[in-house]
Amino acid sequence: MNAREEILGALGTAAPPPGAADALLADPVRPSVAEDRVAAFLAALALPASGATHARIGSVADAPAAVARYLAEHGLPPAVFLPDDPRFAADWSGFALSLAITPDEPAVIAWARLGIAESGSLVFETGPHAPMLPNFLGLHHIVLLREAAIVSHLEDAALPGPQPRAHYWVTGVSGTTDIEGQYIRGAHGPRFLHVLLVGED
Amino acid sequence: MSAAFSRRVDAALADPILKLAIDRTAGTAEAKRALAVDGFAHFEQARTRAAAIKDHVVAHLGHYLEHFEASATAAGAQVHYARTADEACAIVIGICKAAGARTVARSKSMLGEEIGLPHALAEAGIGRIETDLAEHIIQLADERPSHIVWPAMHKTREQVSALFKQHHTAPHTEETIPAMAESARRHLRQGMLGADVGISGANFLIADSGAVCTVTNEGNAELSLVPPRVHIVTAGIEKLVPSMGHAAQLLRLLARSATGATLTQYTTFYTGPKRAADPDGPEAMHIVLIDNGRVKMRDEGLAEMLRCIRCGACMNHCVVFRQIGGHAYGGTYPGPMGAVLTPALDGLAASRDLPNACTLNGKCQEVCPVKIPLPTLLRGWREKSWREGLEPATMRQGIGAWAWVAQRPRLYRAAVRAAIFAMRRFGRGWIRALPLARGWTAHRDLPAPDAESFMSRYARGER
Repeated sequence: MNAREEILGALGTAAPPPGAADALLADPVRPSVAEDRVAAFLAALALPASGATHARIGSVADAPAAVARYLAEHGLPPAVFLPDDPRFAADWSGFALSLAITPDEPAVIAWARLGIAESGSLVFETGPHAPMLPNFLGLHHIVLLREAAIVSHLEDAALPGPQPRAHYWVTGVSGTTDIEGQYIRGAHGPRFLHVLLVGED
Repeated sequence: MSAAFSRRVDAALADPILKLAIDRTAGTAEAKRALAVDGFAHFEQARTRAAAIKDHVVAHLGHYLEHFEASATAAGAQVHYARTADEACAIVIGICKAAGARTVARSKSMLGEEIGLPHALAEAGIGRIETDLAEHIIQLADERPSHIVWPAMHKTREQVSALFKQHHTAPHTEETIPAMAESARRHLRQGMLGADVGISGANFLIADSGAVCTVTNEGNAELSLVPPRVHIVTAGIEKLVPSMGHAAQLLRLLARSATGATLTQYTTFYTGPKRAADPDGPEAMHIVLIDNGRVKMRDEGLAEMLRCIRCGACMNHCVVFRQIGGHAYGGTYPGPMGAVLTPALDGLAASRDLPNACTLNGKCQEVCPVKIPLPTLLRGWREKSWREGLEPATMRQGIGAWAWVAQRPRLYRAAVRAAIFAMRRFGRGWIRALPLARGWTAHRDLPAPDAESFMSRYARGER
C-alpha cells in the first residue's frame, strides 16, 4: 500500500454532516470595527506594531506628486520601481523608473486591492501586472489604496473564484524580535510603509 | 529522572545568561499577549470556536485531505504523502535533485526540524540557507531551536555578534542589535535571491482552494519562495482547515497568543505555481503532507493535541520552561506542548521525564488559544509510563509498598505514628536534614509534623 492509501485508509474519508463546516463560519468571533471604516483602518495603520504613515490624494493623477513629496522628505532621489500596471496611469515623467527589480531597490510602488480596517492590513494578489517580489525587497513600500476599497474584517478579504498564485496581507513592515526580543524594523524587507489613500474621483 | 535529562537541566540551571535571555523574550511575549487579549472583547468565545474548528477538522481529517489534494492539484501543485519523517525527507531530496538544486532557501518550519530536514539536505550535499533571522543564527552556531517562535532566544547579543563577525562577509562594525540585523539582511539577501528551491512549512492548508498559508513577521518566507524555480511545502496533516474563513478565525488567535500582535506582518496564501503570464514566482509547487505519528495520536487519546497551532504561548507562560529553556527538553518541541508531543514522536521510553517535568499548575491550558487540556494529556503520559513499567524500580517499589500499607488502616495508622515519632527526632518546627529525603532537604527545609495525626485526634472525639 502506498503512503496516500495507508494514511487515508487509516483516517477514513467520510464527509462531515452537511452544514457542519459552515456552522463554524457563522457569527465569527472577532473584534468589532467602528462604523467609520476608513478612520478605523488609518488608526490601525498608525499603531506602533504597523508603524505606517499615510497621505490622502484626490485621484491617481495626484500620485506622482505625493510620491515625490514622500521621497524628498526621506532624502531620496525621485527613483522608484513601478509595476507595469494600467491602474498607475499618470504622469511619472519626473521619475527614474526601474524596469526590473534590483536587490537594493530603495522605493517600490504597489497597488492594494483592499484594506482591512480590523488590522490595518493591505491585500494584494499576484497577476500579470502585479509582481510579488518587489513588495518584499524595497526599503520603502509605497502603496496606493482606494478609500472605497476598505473592508471591515479579515473574512472580507477573500477573493472569490479561481485563486491567483499568491494572495497576501501586508500588515506593517518587515520586523523581527529575534535578537534579545528587541524590535527591529526592516529585517529583510521594507522598513517603511506609506499608504496613499485615493479618494473618490 | 534519567541521567541525560538531569544533566541537561543542571547545565541549564547553572547558566546565568540563559535565564536572563529567556526572561527577556518570554517575559515580553507574556506581557504583550495579556494586552492583546484585553483588547479583544470576546477572546474566550474565540478560543472555544477555534477549538471547535480544529476538532471538526481532526474528526474528518481524511475527507479534508482528499479535498485539499483535489483543490491543490487543480491549481497546478503536486501533492505527495509521507508516512514517516524519513519518507518525507526522501521526497523532498528527490524533488531537489530532480530540479538540479545546489542550494535551497528555507523559511522556518518546526515540521522541517521534526523530520530532520536540515540534516537530510546536508547528507544529500545540498546547500541550505536559513532565512528566518533566528534560524540563521542557530544555523551559524550549529544548534537546534530552543523555542518554536524564537528559535534563538537562548542567544545573547554578544554571542550573535561573534557569530556574524565570524561568518558574514561584510559584518556590522557597531555593536548594536539594529547593526547586527542589518548585517544579516545584507548577508541573507543574496542567498535568497540565488536559491534554486524554496522550502516552507504551512501554518494552514485551505481545503476548498488548495492554498498553503504561511505567516511571518520578517517577510523571509516570501523572499525565499518567490525567486526560486521550485517551491516545496512540508506540512503536518493536521494543518488543514475547510476554508479561508476558518483560517481567519485561527489567525486572529495565533498572532495575539504568540507575540501580542493583531496579525502577523505577512500572511500569504500560495495556490499552485506561477501562472503563465505572472512576472515572478516558481515554476513548480510541491506539497508534502506528512503523518509522522499524527494518525496514531488521533486514535490513541491525543486528538486534542492536533489542535495545536504552534503559537508558543504555553512555553512562554510555563514556570519550568522559564527556568530551563528549550534545549533541556531534548526534543524538537519544548515546553508543555513539547512534553506532550515528544513522547508521541520519539517514544515514551526515551522521554518519560518530560511529562514529569511539570508542576501541573494549569497555566498552559489557560493561555492555549485552542484550549488543549495540556495538564490532562501530560497526566495521561504519566499513567501510561506507569502501566508500561517504564518508571524506575525504586519508584515502583516505593509506591507499591505505600499502596500495600495504605490498604490496611491499622497498619497505616501505626506507620504514621512511627513516622511522626521518628521525624520529630530530626527537628522542632523545621527539619533541615532527614535520611532518605535528601532530595528534598538538600535545597529546602521540611516542616516537622505535629505530635499527633489528624486521625488519632479525630478518634479521640476531637471535632
